Amino acid sequence: MANLTTIRTRLATNLGTISGLRSAAEIPDNPTPPIGIINLESVDYDGAMGGGLTTYNFVVTVIVGRAAEREMQRKLDSYCQPTGSQSVKVAIESDKTLSGEVYDLRVERSSGMGSITVNDQNYLAAEFTVTVIA
Amino acid sequence: MAKFVVTGTTVTVGGTDVTTACARAELVINAAEVETTDFGSAGFVEVIGGLKSGTVSLDFHQDFGTGAVSALFQDLVGTVTAITLVAGNGTGATAETPLYSFNALVTSITPVSGAVGDLGTFSVSFPTSGAITYATS
Repeated sequence: MANLTTIRTRLATNLGTISGLRSAAEIPDNPTPPIGIINLESVDYDGAMGGGLTTYNFVVTVIVGRAAEREMQRKLDSYCQPTGSQSVKVAIESDKTLSGEVYDLRVERSSGMGSITVNDQNYLAAEFTVTVIA
Repeated sequence: MAKFVVTGTTVTVGGTDVTTACARAELVINAAEVETTDFGSAGFVEVIGGLKSGTVSLDFHQDFGTGAVSALFQDLVGTVTAITLVAGNGTGATAETPLYSFNALVTSITPVSGAVGDLGTFSVSFPTSGAITYATS
């Protein structure tokens, strides 16, 4: 049986392989960009008989910096690429079993590119939908 | 027993427990209709029960690991194999979780299936062979 805290931690570890990007398994009080934060959105139980399959739906929020900065827009673009060393999809899927903790995972989409407000500061951010089956 | 939500039909195939790879299980038992209509049937069709038969349908999650469900079925195509189902979310035969036991002819499998992004699954449907037994203890 997979451990949810371990899944969070190992997703953050995968995300942290992107050079220059911090990662957080839990939501920090004061995030320091650029940072990727692992948020659990929902859990779907009983995908198979006897609890044989559980689906964890995560949203990874990547915050890059002040919304007005052009450089930050380009950085966010690189995180949203499907390939490359700065790709969030590539980083999270670099170990698809999270060291054997889960069956498989997939970064399905990125969305919500735009400005968000954290502690009265406007940042540029994007969300990545990650489905984990365990 | 109360009404229940299906979460744990116990499934074995050829003696191997494949419960946690199975997402749906269905066993249908039929009796053939044998017509006995005659001049005394008052204008209506009359039937009696004929030979019984069964069909088992199972949906699985693909897994090609050693001893996993996909590899298990690979070796069973064309053979008659023993299948058991424990209904009512049970793990053993009781009055509330009856055990159905039967043999079935593994007529086909679908080892490769699925579109990009889908969970890998496959479905099978086999005719039973011989009697279907029902046990409550």
